[in-house]
Amino acid sequence: MRYDSVLDMIGDTPLLRLDPAAHGVPEAEIFLKLESANPFGSVKDRVAWGLLRDHIGTIVEEEQVVLEASSGNTAKALQIIASMHGVGFRAFTNRVRVREVREMLSLLGAEVTEMPGLSECPDPTAPNDVFGVIGDLMESEPGRYHHTSQYTNEDNLRTHYEQTGREIYRDAGPVDLLVGGLGTTGSTRGAATYLRERNPETAVVGVVAAEGDFIPGIRSAAEMWEVGLFEPGFYDAIAAVDSADAISASLELATRHGVLAGPTTGAAYAAARERLLSGPGGPATAVVVACDRMEPYLSYYRHRRPDLFGASRPASDEAAPSAAPEELEAWTAAGEHVVVVDVRTALAFQAGHIPGAINLRDDLLEQVMEAGMPFSEASRVVFVCPTGDRSARFAARAAATGRRAYNLEGGVLGWRDSGRPLAGV
Amino acid sequence: MSQRFPLPAARPPLAARFLADTAAVGEAIERFGSPLHVVFPQVMAENATALAGVLRRHGVPYDIFYAHKVNASAALLAEASAVGLGADVASAAELDRALAVGFALDRIEATGPKSPAFIKRIAGLGVTVNADDLWELDRLAAAAPAGSTVPVLLRLSGFASPAVPQSRFGIDLADADAALETVRRAPGLDLRGVAFHLDTADPAARVDALTESMAVVAAAHRKGLRPSVIDIGGGFRQRFVEDPEPFQRYAQALAAAGPGDLVWPGHDVGATAAHKYGNHRPATDVLERFLAAEIERRPVAEVLRECMLTLWIEPGKALVDHAGLTLASVLYRKRAAGHDLVVLDLSRNQVTPADQEVLLDPVLVDGRGDPPAEGVFLAGRLCLESDLVSRRKVFLESEPSSGDVLAFVNTAAYQMDLSASAAGGHPPPPKVAAVWDGERFAFVADDHHGS
Repeated sequence: MRYDSVLDMIGDTPLLRLDPAAHGVPEAEIFLKLESANPFGSVKDRVAWGLLRDHIGTIVEEEQVVLEASSGNTAKALQIIASMHGVGFRAFTNRVRVREVREMLSLLGAEVTEMPGLSECPDPTAPNDVFGVIGDLMESEPGRYHHTSQYTNEDNLRTHYEQTGREIYRDAGPVDLLVGGLGTTGSTRGAATYLRERNPETAVVGVVAAEGDFIPGIRSAAEMWEVGLFEPGFYDAIAAVDSADAISASLELATRHGVLAGPTTGAAYAAARERLLSGPGGPATAVVVACDRMEPYLSYYRHRRPDLFGASRPASDEAAPSAAPEELEAWTAAGEHVVVVDVRTALAFQAGHIPGAINLRDDLLEQVMEAGMPFSEASRVVFVCPTGDRSARFAARAAATGRRAYNLEGGVLGWRDSGRPLAGV
Repeated sequence: MSQRFPLPAARPPLAARFLADTAAVGEAIERFGSPLHVVFPQVMAENATALAGVLRRHGVPYDIFYAHKVNASAALLAEASAVGLGADVASAAELDRALAVGFALDRIEATGPKSPAFIKRIAGLGVTVNADDLWELDRLAAAAPAGSTVPVLLRLSGFASPAVPQSRFGIDLADADAALETVRRAPGLDLRGVAFHLDTADPAARVDALTESMAVVAAAHRKGLRPSVIDIGGGFRQRFVEDPEPFQRYAQALAAAGPGDLVWPGHDVGATAAHKYGNHRPATDVLERFLAAEIERRPVAEVLRECMLTLWIEPGKALVDHAGLTLASVLYRKRAAGHDLVVLDLSRNQVTPADQEVLLDPVLVDGRGDPPAEGVFLAGRLCLESDLVSRRKVFLESEPSSGDVLAFVNTAAYQMDLSASAAGGHPPPPKVAAVWDGERFAFVADDHHGS
């Protein structure tokens, strides 16, 4: 099919019927709304264009800079649309947590302001939340900026009402169950409003990350109320899914159904199946919003499931040779070359470490060791962490490659509590 | 304006059980009189368990000190001791009470500005000192006997991060080195760690203060000192409402209201309290969000373990959240200045902290019938125009009349003692501890009132 602008390719995404033999829920028809088929790769393409379409003329004319609170797909789509129109874009976020997403944004030239520790969604109780910062910026130079405000802008809902919901109904008919991840909540609420007008019995399940867990693009249960568009009464259920289930379900979608969708889609699919299987049974039509693709989350998968990436099984911790503090002191006193590797965070290292130690954080050391063993066979290498539990595997791995490597018994804590000195930076 | 804008308070199980138990309320008033402050030590125990649960779940070595200053009640202080908390005392009188209810010396920490006499006393006893200033440290160094190890925390302030609120307390970071030097040279002092306290729920502020404090920990190590504690103080907030929605409606109505519609003419109930009373998130949430916030892309809880520091917290409000309420009797109703007035046998300062308007509706005990269409103002018993117990209209759930008992809920944090006076010869209301024994409430007179 021919298009004259990539923006015309946004929306009208495929609705894929999953093979019942493969999804395994009796009498249920499960459809995936493949928002991942949008040109920039996610459901947020609709939102970005929906928020800008009516304003882009003015923004171009007045040379405004577009502002949005986003750490992911919305920022990506807004950046692309802004660049296409020759205007600037700035994203604000607590932080971009997924490496590929961060790299994609810098590749596209996005200016991202990270404010670590802050919530990405508006929090009226925090004096300096993301929205406060955006508000201050807008006040400082009136007319200079255009804030798309995906969390509170009703255009976000309208886009999904007019497009996503309508398309689902056109392709699937009356829907019994709609399941989607809750980020801004725009897609589930917009689409569900349309579907409920056709079938008031449509149940809507919003999916969030389990408490204390992280699934990119959706909120955790505790964060939900902060979102301006969120209305708890709207949903029949809020399902909390943990990242392990989300990952398993997305892998299942990939291997059984051939759908390469990200962890959020996995979470929604898992929640949909769970609800259908625990319900009364009988014929049901369910639609799961597949909001984006799998590839941008490879580092997320790798971090949580290193086993899937052929990570060499580290030698067991028990195999790690250990060294007592006195041995370490004796080697040094005898003039031997000893490298003490402290695998804690830089802040902890700065606050107090074994004199002479170097700092290589465990996750970085992990990566370094994957590439090769960075220590000389001529030195003794002693790995330390707070108590000796985390550093043992590094000692074991280094020892397995022939290094004279040891794990410090009792860690830095044992060192300190035996009265030995610590150095501060 | 005839529309109702109620501000219903959160009613946790024990307070709700008490207020629904008309006989228990009647017995309390009968035995101890009206007005009356009622405290629930069991609620404090629950609050302590909840906070400790968060710390345990995150695997952080911790200790909790109850900031006794929030309420002079001996019953609450004794409960803190019974459930294993430490005591944070801010005066010689508070120290006496802590010792009287049985706290061991190593379970007591002295905070806030201290007099020379108080410094001498705590140095002699060897309780932990949270030092507010170099002046205090010098006196403490002189008072601590050589060979003793009086534990010292340096309370820090003057953080560079704009996210950290300014404070009048603590030792400026620029003076931290001088403070460490004083401790190092003093033959009777032992640096236990560093401290701060922030009046905010913002996890980013605590993350920044923690990060900056680590420079002082590093400096301490360079001097051969051995800090093992990071004390982040309190500020964990109370949860006054179940649902923020009525609060938002009220705030909008207040903004749109004409003079006298919702607030007594000549007064301004202020927006500052809205932040406090509109909060519906529990204190555990503030702690949780701090521990889950990230430093170097790693949760704070893990960074604390890596720093090998024991986390001390000093909650006050959060520990006594919903652990008390105040009962007062309705004397009579009247019309005045075109408004409906309910006159109580209570004075404003005996239930209001620092004259700050309480943005919660009281509850009419044993109230029956329909809610009145209009809101009412609550008047106190002093001969002062300003003695309105509520300067804003409150919306009761039923019609009050002479002899009824009105309950102000969740008053245990500062509301009972902070500003209470005996003006007009009305002593501050007595306190009684109400304990649920599984079948009924038992009452124990609470020794201390007034600070």
